[in-house]
Amino acid sequence: MAETSQTNGPIDMPEDKAAILELPLEQRDDIIVCEGVHKWFGDFCAVRDVSMRVKRGEVVVIFGPSGSGKSTFIRMINRLEEHQQGRIVVDGIEMTNDVRNLDAIRREVGMVFQQFNLFPHMTAINNIMLAPQRVRHLPREEAQKSAQQLLERVGIPEQADKYPAELSGGQQQRVAIARALAMQPQIMLFDEPTSALDPEMIKEVLDVMRELAASGMTMLCVTHEMGFAREVADRMAFFDEGALVELGPPTQIFNNPQEERTQLFLDQIL
Amino acid sequence: MSAVTAPAMDRPPPPPPMTVGTLGWLRQNLFSSWVNSLVTVVLAVVVGWAVIGLISWVIVTADWLVITSRVQLYLVGLYPQVDAWRPQVAVLLISALLGVSWRSWGGTARGFAVGLSAVAVIVGVIPHGLQPLNRILVLAIPVAVGVGYFLAAGFFAGRPRRIVGAAFLAVFVGLLIIRGIEGVPGLEPVNTNDVGGLLLNLLLALFGIAASMPIGIALALGRQSNLPVVKWACVAFIEIIRGVPLITLLFMSRHILPLTFPENIKIDTLYITGITIMLFSSAYMAENVRGGMAAVAPGQTEAARALGLRGWQTTLLITLPQGLRNIIPAIVGQFISLFKDTSLVFIIGMLDLVEMGRVTIQSNLEFVDNGREVYLFIAVVFWIFCFSMSYVSRRIERALGVGKR
Repeated sequence: MAETSQTNGPIDMPEDKAAILELPLEQRDDIIVCEGVHKWFGDFCAVRDVSMRVKRGEVVVIFGPSGSGKSTFIRMINRLEEHQQGRIVVDGIEMTNDVRNLDAIRREVGMVFQQFNLFPHMTAINNIMLAPQRVRHLPREEAQKSAQQLLERVGIPEQADKYPAELSGGQQQRVAIARALAMQPQIMLFDEPTSALDPEMIKEVLDVMRELAASGMTMLCVTHEMGFAREVADRMAFFDEGALVELGPPTQIFNNPQEERTQLFLDQIL
Repeated sequence: MSAVTAPAMDRPPPPPPMTVGTLGWLRQNLFSSWVNSLVTVVLAVVVGWAVIGLISWVIVTADWLVITSRVQLYLVGLYPQVDAWRPQVAVLLISALLGVSWRSWGGTARGFAVGLSAVAVIVGVIPHGLQPLNRILVLAIPVAVGVGYFLAAGFFAGRPRRIVGAAFLAVFVGLLIIRGIEGVPGLEPVNTNDVGGLLLNLLLALFGIAASMPIGIALALGRQSNLPVVKWACVAFIEIIRGVPLITLLFMSRHILPLTFPENIKIDTLYITGITIMLFSSAYMAENVRGGMAAVAPGQTEAARALGLRGWQTTLLITLPQGLRNIIPAIVGQFISLFKDTSLVFIIGMLDLVEMGRVTIQSNLEFVDNGREVYLFIAVVFWIFCFSMSYVSRRIERALGVGKR
């Protein structure tokens, strides 16, 4: 428990989030702490012994071959998958079966999916307003106002009253980002956000993500957009066969990878 | 080359001749080869001969006295003659609702409203054995449609909730007037055993349709419950009801269930039958709903959970609405089949429309040869209702298609 209080950081951190983000990365608190995390599907070990600490405001790009456990790993951070061994602490809240902890963590963590997963029976703005109204119990007018602001932030204010099926893939994904942001999360998880998009739409989504990173959002992105990673990521994590093989800044990963498997994978995709 | 291709880029080239328009359609669908042309001609002759034969029978040969002299029996059964205005008032309420729908949503509702009014005017002015009061109430149908239409412009304008509320109220009031209220002069309760004909089919179908939605949804959700008792109770109910023919259930409810009641309690057959049909329909509805919800993409639930919605919120706001939309055709199919199944109540001695027809033929010597007229009439009545449901469902599907994935 002594260690928990240490990782809980905020106690001796400045109260103001903006003030924390003024500090250099290494002096900030750990917003995500994973220690010896394991996950099995039946007999298959999808994630093995992953330990990682993410600083507040840090952008970590996670990459690796398909089936390497990277999606499963970030899905454990808001418990769409349950970890079976090890511990996960999100913003000082331990991930347990306790419903209150789970609710608190889900409020802190927003998620964006490969297939967007917008609710097809609601307009774009209603997709965004749903959770603030139902989970945070914001009054309708307030939810609507902030939803409209979010749509402006992702660059499609004029699409508010369209249904998802009437939007392009890139627009849908931007609505999905706005929907996640509406809960004012501390952390955003991106699970291959551009993999289902046509090439000309990838940029518009990456631009939104760039802006988000610049605003100081803590982000975990599973993506193979290496240009984005080189430019935006503070650190990159290479997963293979369920294990975290290498973790380091983009300069190290691209120019001087410490592991042979990292080098081999990068040779294949670059 | 470029001189030729440049205009082509401005305006796309026209399709080859004889592939579009009426001629193109005929050619592609009816005369695409000499075999198909032959089949088309032969079938056209056969169908034309049959249609001409049917029409001439309907107009010339058939004796419709068996229908026109007994209209009330077919429509309301043995419901007392002096109270026949009560179902008619219920029809007026429905007509007014139709007028509201016409003004509010147009299209489909307008067709139904105009059609109903036209039929009412024709029936109202044809001289036959209609009592003056009943004739006036028939002729009041277009008026009721008009009243609804103008109410929709004012009281209901842009207020869908009021319309839904008024619809529920109208159905409730209509049922109350048909059944009667204790102690109100002129509205003495009728003997429910006298309710028959089309009114009986409609009432039973209405019970079944209205109750099977909520009960079916509750059963479907219960079946997915984490509580073993709830889950297994729902599974047992659904599987037992679905495993038994409706006729058997009707027999059991009529002849076996009353044995379990205390002797001094007697529940009307109409109610017992209505409840039986409700339960029967609910079990099928439950499986439809479950199927529809299972077809909702798992990503929907994940997105809802990631946003922090609770399990019941996810079900009510995300999976259930999408699941129900998935199964509109199946729901309407079930309603149509339920409406037709209500004619099975003859098995426990109730006089529905079909049974009323059979009884009319068999108990009147003068009508003994008029079976064809009676059953054609009954078939047309059933078809009008079933086709209307089917048509409305397709319109609803198209209207809801906006938000489709």
